[in-house]
Amino acid sequence: MVAAAKLGTLTALKDPQQAGPFDGYDPKPYFCELLGSESQPHKDLVGVWQRLQKLDVATLLRRAADAEHELFDLGITFTVYSEKDAIDRILPFDVIPRLVRAAEWRTLESGVTQRVRALNMFLWDVYHERHILKDGIVPAELVLKNANYRPEMIGFDPPLGTYIHINGTDLVRDQRGAFHVLEDNGRSPSGVSYVVENRHMMQRSFPDLMHGLRVKSVSDYGERLRAKLIEVAPKGAASPTVVLLTPGVYNSAYFEHIFLAREMGVPLVEGRDLVVEDDHVFMRTVAGLAPVDVIYRRINDDFLDPEVFNSESTLGVAGLMRASKAGHVTLANAVGTGVADDKAVYAYVPRIIEYYLGEDPILPNVETHICGESEGLAYTIENIEKLVIKPVGESGGYGIVVGPKSSASELDVALAQLKANPANFISQPMVDLSVCPTLTRSGVAPRHVDLRPYAVTGKDTWVLPGGLTRVALKEGSIIVNSSQGGGTKDTWVLEEEAV
Amino acid sequence: MSLLARNAEQLFWLARYVERATSLSRVIETHSSHGNGSTDEGTWAWLVALYSNAEPFAKQFADANFKNVIQFYVADTDNPASVRFSVKAARENARALRAVIPTDMWSQLNAFHHRLLAMKESDFDPVGVARTCGVIKVGCYAQLGVADSTLYRDEGERFFKLGLMLERADQTSRLLDVKFAQLAARPDAGGTIADTTFWALILRSAAAYQAFRRHEPRGADPARVAHFLLTNQSQPRSVAYCVNSIKNVLEDLRRIYGLRQARRALEMVHDLEAGVLAAATDTQLVARLHAINDWLQQRLIELTSELNEAFFALEEPKSAPSRQTQSQTQTQTQSTP
Repeated sequence: MVAAAKLGTLTALKDPQQAGPFDGYDPKPYFCELLGSESQPHKDLVGVWQRLQKLDVATLLRRAADAEHELFDLGITFTVYSEKDAIDRILPFDVIPRLVRAAEWRTLESGVTQRVRALNMFLWDVYHERHILKDGIVPAELVLKNANYRPEMIGFDPPLGTYIHINGTDLVRDQRGAFHVLEDNGRSPSGVSYVVENRHMMQRSFPDLMHGLRVKSVSDYGERLRAKLIEVAPKGAASPTVVLLTPGVYNSAYFEHIFLAREMGVPLVEGRDLVVEDDHVFMRTVAGLAPVDVIYRRINDDFLDPEVFNSESTLGVAGLMRASKAGHVTLANAVGTGVADDKAVYAYVPRIIEYYLGEDPILPNVETHICGESEGLAYTIENIEKLVIKPVGESGGYGIVVGPKSSASELDVALAQLKANPANFISQPMVDLSVCPTLTRSGVAPRHVDLRPYAVTGKDTWVLPGGLTRVALKEGSIIVNSSQGGGTKDTWVLEEEAV
Repeated sequence: MSLLARNAEQLFWLARYVERATSLSRVIETHSSHGNGSTDEGTWAWLVALYSNAEPFAKQFADANFKNVIQFYVADTDNPASVRFSVKAARENARALRAVIPTDMWSQLNAFHHRLLAMKESDFDPVGVARTCGVIKVGCYAQLGVADSTLYRDEGERFFKLGLMLERADQTSRLLDVKFAQLAARPDAGGTIADTTFWALILRSAAAYQAFRRHEPRGADPARVAHFLLTNQSQPRSVAYCVNSIKNVLEDLRRIYGLRQARRALEMVHDLEAGVLAAATDTQLVARLHAINDWLQQRLIELTSELNEAFFALEEPKSAPSRQTQSQTQTQTQSTP
């Protein structure tokens, strides 16, 4: 088989008599995660390709259906509530894995680590001396007038200077195969549970595909996360108690909260399970109140503490900020990280990296024009029909105008808004997201994907090998969000080849 | 690591709801199959009496016929007295406990719940319902079996067992009470002692038929059946067996886990134990059966309130013991926001 690979054409890699699921597969003009820009897989990926090619589409579809069935029974689901019913849905799961070569992963890992390091330094600076604002690297008002800026955090020193303990970096790959950062998620990034559960499902459904292949493990995420959270526990906590704080069973990410608590082996608490006494946090147990030292909170800043933020919140715990600022409990992520993963600040992250680390960014941003700057505004107005216009300070895809897909009148409206308040917008070119072979009813076809690696930071940063691959299941779509027809794939980071 | 009070409560109710669903579906399965051809075939009013649901039942239905009773007690997903509601409630507790209980416990219950949701009308018609109840009963057994083989033996498991045994004691006591009342109400009350079908129905409803046959080869009579289900120490659904299990669990909580607030509940269980012991030697047990069952059920309700207060910290006012003959089945306080 290896000898066949040297012949160099796809047909030579398989039995020409035997029909295979990839026979009609053509990713062009996009960059393919399996074939790259070539017509044959990279030498590291030939083996997997050959194994896939031996499975027929009917087998793939049958195993995919079994896997989805199993995900449903296991309750790896999110719940859609209507007035009367609660309907459980799985996140669509595609069985053809996305592969990442060892060399590619080395770059991604160091790039993500570098970025998280710079963002943590930026947050420290913003809530302390504000050098970067005074030096005019990032416009002060962009930060200080940002909706996610939290004056309550001024002068507060989080343990080890870490604000963003858990980070998700959204990456896309352009037509030449170069990775770019599309977005930082430094508040409460979700999705990591699917990384691990997708792997377990692949191990069960496709043992033949994985057998003998050296794929980096993702199963130790919980242990690693817990260890990192213990690193940032308040001083003096002898054996720190970590808990995971969830908004409760009605939250759409509830499965993930269960998963994380289970994998860390820590209690999954709700606001009503916690109480603050004398600036210390306790949980209500059958044996009375028990101290809590670190809270991995999956509740947004606004709802965290009714004493300080939204006073109507019943999800949070009154006094949590007092306890945190007194240094008696560590909140992960820290309050106020939203100024670092904001779309407006995103545009400045390459400069932020250079400013604090004196290094070039390992992973570039997607080309971004800052409309608050005159050059950026002029370019955006000139090329609006080719660009994606994004309002800053919004999330979840709200208010985005996709130039090439908008009508003339829609563009006029966008242009008017842009001119009225330029600083509220950035613009980016349409990125031709890379594709990955994906199983459809009519066989294997190219579908667009992105990648979200997860970085966990205590004393230092550890990056979970791979991350969440989201796939736009609709033909031609570049929207990978689960709410708009997106699914997920298992992401296989191959181990280094032994030399 | 101490157990969250909320999780203790959820474990307690998880077990109670599963046990309730299995008891109810067993009673219906038994009576809808083995009961055919007997004199009581026509009316199912006794089942409504069994769970003291006369009022809510009358609001929906004029007549306690088979079809209505099945709708009320099996098919309805919103009625807190129904089997499907119990399984749904059990599954909701399990969902909140997923970080605590083994995955196998959760996924069995989750798949089981979805199977029940997908059932059709024909699964609840007079022909299908015995089989449906059989399926539900086995699904509940499976949950209890997975729990028995996989649930970690810490204080959490003790709360699960408390819920299980409390519910079971309550169910057996109710069954005895209602069926003996049904017997007494017959015009030929004296002559039915030899009605083996009637005794078989009670025993099968308590999953005690085979055991009773072996234990009492002389056959059934009212005193033997009442003693067997109330005071036999080896019959896993007898009140005596359940009370003894509750006592052991509470002692574990106090001794092994240092939960001193179990003391009051233990005192209450010692009372229960004394009551059951007295019943064991009571030669007039059948005559006093209703009074004993009434007393038992009140004590079980008080015990639940005490557990609430001592462990789950629910701010629920302790209800004064009422004089009513039967109390409606207790349900979990809605504590989700």
